[in-house]
Amino acid sequence: MKIDGKIEGGSLHVMLSGELDEQGCRLVRAKFDAILDSWRYGSVIVDMTELSFMDSSGIGLLIGRFKRLKSRGIPMMIANPNCTVDKIFRISGIYNLMPKLG
Amino acid sequence: MKHFVNIETNATLGCEAYLRSCIGAFCVRLNPTLEELGDIKTAVSEAVTNVVVHAYRGSSDRAIVVRGEIRDCTVYIDVVDRGCGIPDIEQARRAFYTSASTDERSGLGFTVMETFMDSLTVSNNPTGGVTVSMTKKIGCYGVAPLPSEGDLCVGAQ
Repeated sequence: MKIDGKIEGGSLHVMLSGELDEQGCRLVRAKFDAILDSWRYGSVIVDMTELSFMDSSGIGLLIGRFKRLKSRGIPMMIANPNCTVDKIFRISGIYNLMPKLG
Repeated sequence: MKHFVNIETNATLGCEAYLRSCIGAFCVRLNPTLEELGDIKTAVSEAVTNVVVHAYRGSSDRAIVVRGEIRDCTVYIDVVDRGCGIPDIEQARRAFYTSASTDERSGLGFTVMETFMDSLTVSNNPTGGVTVSMTKKIGCYGVAPLPSEGDLCVGAQ
């Protein structure tokens, strides 16, 4: 599991790659928060192009980050989930909190 | 024809990755679509995560058993533990319910299993622990035939 961040057009892009299960969440949680704390930005886009797997542990992780950002008034969005990950987002209603781009 | 697999291992953090991969690989003989395979792997991952996080609460030397069986076009999967059991199964299955609300848990594990599989039953074992049983019919173009002897030699010359 890998996580990286970059600023593009005023947005913070957080790129997740690998498998975001219980163990994956524990591996990236602190780094995710460190990335959120180290830049100035108006919105956050979680890019899942390289994410091959996610289960509901990942939903817990994302909601945790969403709450931190919400308290600062910063919106969060999801980009490029694969079809199974997209299905988890749809059944969980998470797109109501963090919309899918595109 | 019936096919089966039995895996018993210690339920350490990280076993969810190889157990879902093993069951995914076992199902390949049903010729699943990528989406069907993703559904099965995700459901297994949810069940195994429940065992690691809730049933055994992080103690990593306890045993988990994952059984798979293929009959006709359907895969039957059991995930069995010998942990603390579930006091109220109906409540545990409710979407967004979690017994560990301080840990950033979504409470969606059973909801995902229910949605991604055709059937789900959850029961406390008489001797302790929980059995989660799931089935899924694969859109089935038939069970892949065993390769003939000639096929096995292709590329090996």
